[in-house]
Amino acid sequence: MEIFPFFLKGLWMTSKIGFISLVTCTLIGFILGIFRSSDSTILKRMVGVYVAFVRGTPFVVQIFIVFFILPEWGVQLEAFSAALLAMAIMGSAFICEIVAGGINSIPKGQWEAATSAGLNRIQQLRLVIIPQAMKVILPPLVGQYVLLIKDTSVVSVIGIMELTRVGWVTVVRIPEGLMVFTLVGFLYFIISYPLILLSNYLEKKMAV
Amino acid sequence: MIEFKNVNKWFDKLHVLNDINLKIPKGEVLVICGPSGSGKSTLIRCINRLEKIQQGQIIVNDTPVHDKSTNLTKLRAEIGFVFQQFHLYPHMTVLQNVMLAPVNVKKIAKTKAEKIALEKLEQVGLTEKSGAYPAQLSGGQQQRVAIARGLVMSPEIMLFDEPTSALDPEMIGEVLDVMVNLVSEGMTMCVVTHEMGFAKKVADRVLFMDEGKIVETGTPGEFFDNPQTDRASEFISKILTH
Amino acid sequence: MLVDFNFRVILEYLPLFLTGLRSTFFIAIVSIALALITGIIACSCRISGIKFIKYPAIAYIEIVRSTPLLVQIYFLYFGLPTLGLKIPEIQTGILALMLNSGAYMAEIIRAGINSVDEGQIEAGISSGLNYVQRMRLIILPQALGVTIPPLLGQNIVLVKDSALLSLISVMELTRCGQTMTSERFMPTEAFLTVAFFYMCIYFCLKALADWSQRKLIFREAY
Repeated sequence: MEIFPFFLKGLWMTSKIGFISLVTCTLIGFILGIFRSSDSTILKRMVGVYVAFVRGTPFVVQIFIVFFILPEWGVQLEAFSAALLAMAIMGSAFICEIVAGGINSIPKGQWEAATSAGLNRIQQLRLVIIPQAMKVILPPLVGQYVLLIKDTSVVSVIGIMELTRVGWVTVVRIPEGLMVFTLVGFLYFIISYPLILLSNYLEKKMAV
Repeated sequence: MIEFKNVNKWFDKLHVLNDINLKIPKGEVLVICGPSGSGKSTLIRCINRLEKIQQGQIIVNDTPVHDKSTNLTKLRAEIGFVFQQFHLYPHMTVLQNVMLAPVNVKKIAKTKAEKIALEKLEQVGLTEKSGAYPAQLSGGQQQRVAIARGLVMSPEIMLFDEPTSALDPEMIGEVLDVMVNLVSEGMTMCVVTHEMGFAKKVADRVLFMDEGKIVETGTPGEFFDNPQTDRASEFISKILTH
Repeated sequence: MLVDFNFRVILEYLPLFLTGLRSTFFIAIVSIALALITGIIACSCRISGIKFIKYPAIAYIEIVRSTPLLVQIYFLYFGLPTLGLKIPEIQTGILALMLNSGAYMAEIIRAGINSVDEGQIEAGISSGLNYVQRMRLIILPQALGVTIPPLLGQNIVLVKDSALLSLISVMELTRCGQTMTSERFMPTEAFLTVAFFYMCIYFCLKALADWSQRKLIFREAY
């Protein structure tokens, strides 16, 4: 049990990557979601192509692309940055779809009322559409946060010493697979389950 | 004040506005009626450019509505629009609903905007509901708030798209009363409606539309008592029977 | 950069990629079938009134949903041998996918059953139907329409999840990309080809999911 601090360091790394990713993906995802639900066909299609690529390929393949292929094109990234970039690319696409779905669920009449009042598009989004869309966006958004935290485990393949890799490295020295990964699973559970409960709660509350 | 010149509009293959030529002088109260799909809602929705036209021109106060260089914000500030389904913003109180445009479009200070908003709410008889949310109001009350929201920018023109069609019968009266009061203040109004009592009482002119064309136009007296076309006679007899 | 894209090498490795692709198909089909059965059983336990089977089902579902798939894969891969069970990696992988997707499918099915209108159930009770009959004749047929599109979505997720099996040395599509990279050091050609294959699978499955949505929504409007 002397290795426990090692696990806590891994948990800390997971939390760091998770938190930074939540923030960046939310910011980028919201902007992309607004583009995705705009009237401009070009913008919609362009974001659509990006989203299709992210949703159509496994995250582990995307990580390999960022980590191995970018250096060939002159972009040298160390593992931590590559991991953040891959998480940002992946997470933003999913949040984009959630945000676009929320915006598109607002009845056309609200847009028309705001247009007739003379508000420009940004004002319409800021004052009328997005406040109402948040009800639809919030539950799946928090659900997506849980998925993002769990997906941080995949960045272990490029050697980042987050929680899963700690387990992987430990089990090589201490061949107690069940115990090691039960501990790892338990630590993930502690950070995910509260968010899952929050997502369920929000879903009930917003359904009113 | 409002002028339609050879206006044509298509929805795909459907010719929804067919060679519309119309002049609405300042202060006129115009009622537009006709069967469903006749293009009457589309006609007024083109005035504040909620809908676009493919041919012709619409001019409001010397400004061409469908010109690329037109300042839409300025144009829309001069036109108030009331929808059949009200479309009040559900996440804001009644007062906030009415204040939204003055604060954000005309950039009026909040305290001043609040004062103006309360005046308009008083005009429609709903001052005591200023802190309520739309969901807490009846249909008739919501529509009156929508009218206040349209009036708050002190427009020269008010457009109404079947304002009472979505209301329970008991509430139609309270909304029509508010609209009648507006007439007495000299407001230019275009009202798409089936409420013929309202038309007879306050309209200066009635427009009858069918299949995208203006079939007949005249004063309420002329139109209801002495329709010139068969189509108009048919329509009038149908709506007066029930 | 793409000008130097070496198509000849890809053609050379094409047999390997196709083997990997076939392997991925096999893993996916088997895992989906098993996951569906697992999901149905877990869902039945979850909605049962008997606490003895309800709570373990809830625990299973919540634990699977709160922990990463990779951790579940490693748990089985490193843990089962310590129990004396030496299973080939591909079977370990399928087991992990089955348990993981099974939990999500259980929740999808449960949501589908809950979506059936209360009034339908009351009508069934009034007619004298017992629980099993109501399930079979009224609830499940209607729940089907709401359930199938998300289940197809879960299948897409599972195909992507199968890529993680490459990390426990299963020779599926992603591992072929890793193999080609380590042998020829041409990650661009390797992983873009792998990505291309996954995209093809994705678009096929997505077309199927969209088609099912259209067809089933027609039935619901009835």
